[in-house]
Amino acid sequence: MTKREFLSRLNEGLSGLPQEDAAGRLAFYSEMIDDRIEDGLSEEEAVAGIGPVEKIVAQIIEETPLTTLAKEKLRPKRRLRVWEIVLLVLGSPLWLSLLLAAFAVVLTVYLAIWVLVLSLWIVDLAFFAAFLGGLIAGVLFFTGSGILSGLPVLGAGLVFAGLSIFLFFLCKETTKCAAVLTKKIGSKIKSSFKGRRTQNETDN
Amino acid sequence: MDVQLKRGILDVCVLAAIKDEESYGYKIIKDLQPYVRLSESTLYTILKRLEESKMLTVRSAEHGGRLRKYYRITEAGRKRIDEFRAEWEEIMAIYRFITKEDGRYD
Repeated sequence: MTKREFLSRLNEGLSGLPQEDAAGRLAFYSEMIDDRIEDGLSEEEAVAGIGPVEKIVAQIIEETPLTTLAKEKLRPKRRLRVWEIVLLVLGSPLWLSLLLAAFAVVLTVYLAIWVLVLSLWIVDLAFFAAFLGGLIAGVLFFTGSGILSGLPVLGAGLVFAGLSIFLFFLCKETTKCAAVLTKKIGSKIKSSFKGRRTQNETDN
Repeated sequence: MDVQLKRGILDVCVLAAIKDEESYGYKIIKDLQPYVRLSESTLYTILKRLEESKMLTVRSAEHGGRLRKYYRITEAGRKRIDEFRAEWEEIMAIYRFITKEDGRYD
């Protein structure tokens, strides 16, 4: 790949970034490639040494805060005309509700994931409470009505202790999975701010 | 390694690379190569961060018919290196403490 090709693909990939930021990064990579060539590398080698464009774009998007990306996406590329503003206002019952619906969907997905995790923890807590209850009731039955009625209750308590320990590890793993999943969804949303062409290339 | 810790170390590495004389991107990467492998995008982020926190200044100068950016350390940048050395002394003391404990149980 030539330097020109590399920079133009990088430029397309970074189209979701604020202009100034993208320009600064392009100038930086351009200088890097020139310096490599000056150091004795061929243009091809110099570009190859920088790494694949897709990977660089992905890393930059990952590092950029979502708010910056969203702001840039929403920023009009030119001043709005009067009729466009009128249309925007008139159409607000439509696009505003669509936007709200989109937010609600994302929020619901997050909630669904975390409520599931929370409910598992609550069940685990209930098992632990049952264990404590069984222990106390067992001891009371032992002293009150004798070994025959105390033993089963104590046994049941111990079974719950086992269940609660087992479920604890399950809960921990699920929480970890949920955290990974939440992060993945976040990156997925972020990657939708990547430049068109790079997006298609990674999809293929 | 812990991300926060690594970020702090890399910042100081870059500051150290420009502490004696001003330098440019490619030279910084090459100078640091024996110690840490920095990718171009990582270096860009670090330089930007250091510039925003006024630990270095940037100037563009002509070089071989093109512009090249040169980075120069500021007083705040030098202070950061000194702070890092002091912090590192503490960490080394803790490290010696931890490994001493290890020795006792071996």
